[in-house]
Amino acid sequence: MSLTLCSEALSGCSGCEMSLLNAGGSSLSLLGRFDIVHMPILMDHKYFDSGGGSQEIHIPKARLGLISGGVRNAQQLRIAEKMRRQCDTIVAFGTCAAYGGIPAMMNLFEDEDLFRRYYRSAEGTDAALDPSQVIPPFLERTFALDEKIAVDFILPGCPPHPDFIASALESILEGKSPQLPLVSVCDSCPTKREGKGSAQRIRRFVKNARYQPDKPISEMRCLLDQGFLCMGPVTLAGCAGMNGGPPRCIEARVPCRGCHGPVRRGGNQIMDILNALVSNGIDTKNLADRLSLLRFSGAHGRLNRRCVQKAD
Amino acid sequence: MSDIYPGFEPKILAFTCNWCSYAAADLAGTARIQYPANLRIIRVMCSVMVHPNLVIEAFECGADGVLLMGCHPGECYYQDGNQKAKARSVAIEEVLSLMGIELERFRLVWCSSAEAEGFACLVRETDEALRVIGPSKYRKDASKYSKSELIQCL
Repeated sequence: MSLTLCSEALSGCSGCEMSLLNAGGSSLSLLGRFDIVHMPILMDHKYFDSGGGSQEIHIPKARLGLISGGVRNAQQLRIAEKMRRQCDTIVAFGTCAAYGGIPAMMNLFEDEDLFRRYYRSAEGTDAALDPSQVIPPFLERTFALDEKIAVDFILPGCPPHPDFIASALESILEGKSPQLPLVSVCDSCPTKREGKGSAQRIRRFVKNARYQPDKPISEMRCLLDQGFLCMGPVTLAGCAGMNGGPPRCIEARVPCRGCHGPVRRGGNQIMDILNALVSNGIDTKNLADRLSLLRFSGAHGRLNRRCVQKAD
Repeated sequence: MSDIYPGFEPKILAFTCNWCSYAAADLAGTARIQYPANLRIIRVMCSVMVHPNLVIEAFECGADGVLLMGCHPGECYYQDGNQKAKARSVAIEEVLSLMGIELERFRLVWCSSAEAEGFACLVRETDEALRVIGPSKYRKDASKYSKSELIQCL
């Protein structure tokens, strides 16, 4: 029996859908068992009657709804609510839907700052007035999906690995809940750790890590040990897929950026990593990137407009 | 003191260490020293065992202020627990500022077991400071309180 599927992309970049299409052989075998009834990224579908009568958004009923992206404006909120009514199971697909993702970094600033930057002060931009048409009204900040509608499962990742998408869809077809990893990136990382407290300070990643290019990753020293800010300890594993390879950024010999969100749902990536650093006597005041440690999980009120300083 | 936010009673959570500040709170009680009743005390063995996530969670659940109380530096029962708590408080402040919470809402203070009056004084100070700052934006009923008209005129 085929399962009807609705998919929507809200405040995101459609990378998650690309990853879904990237699932290769497993997606081909899955596609036959799904009946895609609504997916604006792949196929044309009108929200409104061509007669122009009703203002009600039209989304067909489906068993499964995949929603990628957070909720930033009124239109996205309407679509998300409609999806909830029309789909039996809603999956928050990707980090933006699960934790806010990159767009949620905007939560630190006022909308006014955004418009000033985009329409007036950015280099190479001809100054213009704020748009008054076409763009739907903004909500007060970027929300993760589960702040606005009930979500049955989350599938974090920026984007989620095709293996996980395929296995999650497979489990849903069988009527089970998808299984996520329960460990941090460090647990799946083969680099050598030479002991806690060996890094005295954390540097910016402007110089390459020390490693021998001809040797495998397992011969490289842990990047946090080397003094680079690696988000591995506070990030959910799974970016390498099901076959248990090294985490993808580590494989490219750069530190983890934390794209899978916190290890435990509801965890706080910045608090955990700063706590780990200061508890080992590392001064975090001079950490250049510390404002962007929540670059993937800034929704749920984690990032807010500041009371003290104003954005430039 | 006149009410800046009429009807607003700050909710203050205090984590007090067993050996010094909790004993001080105890002594303040037996000595019948008056201090604001809107303080909720949680006794812990040492200030360092309060994970920063607990402080953040308290704010997310709507606390207006959090006091983390330990022994004076050098007097920690576990040698240097309070120093580590101090290092962590830097990280806590960093995260609070990202959350848009005023830094005055969180205080790490020292209080020995003999300082009952000092304990009461710290609580009074915090209470008064919070009455000036007003309700935390994470409080579910934050919109209920607004600055009194008299203050707005000034």
